[in-house]
Amino acid sequence: MQKHKARVVATALLAVALAALGLAGTAQAKLTGAFTRFAQCPYKTADVRKCLHSVTNSGEVVLGKKKVPIEKAVTLQGGAGAVDEATEFSKFFAATNGVTLSKTPQNVPGGLLGIVPDASSPFLVKLLIKFFLENSLTGVSSTLELAKAATDIKVSEFHLVGEEQVALEMPIKVRLENPFLGKNCYVGSATNPIIWKLTTGTTSPPGPNKPISGSGGEGEFLEGGRIIELKNSKLVDNSWSAPQATGCGGILSFLVTPIINSQLGTTTAGNNTAILVNTVSTAAKSAVNKNDEENP
Amino acid sequence: MKTKATAISTALAALAVLCAMFATSASAAPAWKFEGKSLEGSEVILGAAIDSQLTIPGMTTKCANFLYKVTIKNEAGTGKGEVTELPLYECTTNSEVCSVGKIGAEKLPWASKLTTVSSSPYIIIEGIKVGIIYTGEECAVDGTLVTVTGTAGGLISNVTETATFDAASFTATGTSLKAMSTKIEWKGVFPTEAFEWKREQAISVS
Repeated sequence: MQKHKARVVATALLAVALAALGLAGTAQAKLTGAFTRFAQCPYKTADVRKCLHSVTNSGEVVLGKKKVPIEKAVTLQGGAGAVDEATEFSKFFAATNGVTLSKTPQNVPGGLLGIVPDASSPFLVKLLIKFFLENSLTGVSSTLELAKAATDIKVSEFHLVGEEQVALEMPIKVRLENPFLGKNCYVGSATNPIIWKLTTGTTSPPGPNKPISGSGGEGEFLEGGRIIELKNSKLVDNSWSAPQATGCGGILSFLVTPIINSQLGTTTAGNNTAILVNTVSTAAKSAVNKNDEENP
Repeated sequence: MKTKATAISTALAALAVLCAMFATSASAAPAWKFEGKSLEGSEVILGAAIDSQLTIPGMTTKCANFLYKVTIKNEAGTGKGEVTELPLYECTTNSEVCSVGKIGAEKLPWASKLTTVSSSPYIIIEGIKVGIIYTGEECAVDGTLVTVTGTAGGLISNVTETATFDAASFTATGTSLKAMSTKIEWKGVFPTEAFEWKREQAISVS
């Protein structure tokens, strides 16, 4: 009798657990087709009007004397609010999973010592330098991170497709990682961020940089006009300034940080460049919401 | 001696090629004609497109009423002109969710000129700028101004008295239209009928 009762209770508990799992499944977004890219868009948030998903597939970030090619995809995702008529910018809303800007470490060519072989160097020389200077010990990676809340990002779809003015304004910081540098080696911070004012148009930087041009990319409507995808959308900014690196080397920061700063060189405006080549997708929140509701 | 003869014949051949090239360039300046006679002064072409649509990859926009007014004239023997009006009405898309909220030509007049490509006459329209605002709650570009810009080349038929713009005419004239920095396709057939002094007279380009 006692044994039977216990079995009934266990079965009931199992049923409750399964039901809970089932309910959890229902609450999660089940977007289909090309809409799946907007899974982290806060489309249930009242003030969100559009969903945005941008993957930077290539490009480069030049910080003073250091040039870091973007070799691993970086994702920027979230929602955009109503367009401010005066500024033509929309407020940005964070991704639902908290990963608004993915933290993707990029390899810094030349590693800690900053020795980069000449392009004309023999293949073997390039390979050896890479092996000795860009390994897990001496290699350095650089990761872009948001320096402030996602709500500090500003986007303008008008400027993005119109190839004029600022299309994306983003407060960022660059984390330099290496076993010697510790975990707090940053260029930029929440209080002193690097502000990127990226455009698909043409920049007008202070010298020694020269104007560079971006591009809106090649547009294509997907899902019957519900999604617009811009491939090879090139966002550029070479007018930004960056503060000096801080917190490098842990307890030896007073020694290491100055070395890192001398490696970076001058990082005032006119010495830095950001070129991001992206696939940008946007969709109206109602279209994403409807796709979700149609696929419970 | 033989070498000298070869050199002379090569030079003559080169000269012939050059002459042929210049001959082609010279013929690349057709004029507007009425009843076979070159137009003097100016004339107005007024019409409605027989069929016209523009396609941004993934979505096509059509206008039931695509009207136009073009002033034409000949300058130094070459046909020139200006598109002065381009009212567009009843425009729709093939998307269930995107409607055309507003559409209109900007920065008119647009200059036009005649040219010849592979012995066929073409009209080239420069400085095209059309603004389109799509609407629709589920439309990806709801409320966003999409601007079509560029130059368009259309093949003129003296038989049907029309100008046809399509992928082939754009390729032949090396012209293109862009929207959202994307090359777009514009197809359309436009009658070239005179509306003022030369009304009901046969129009041709040569």
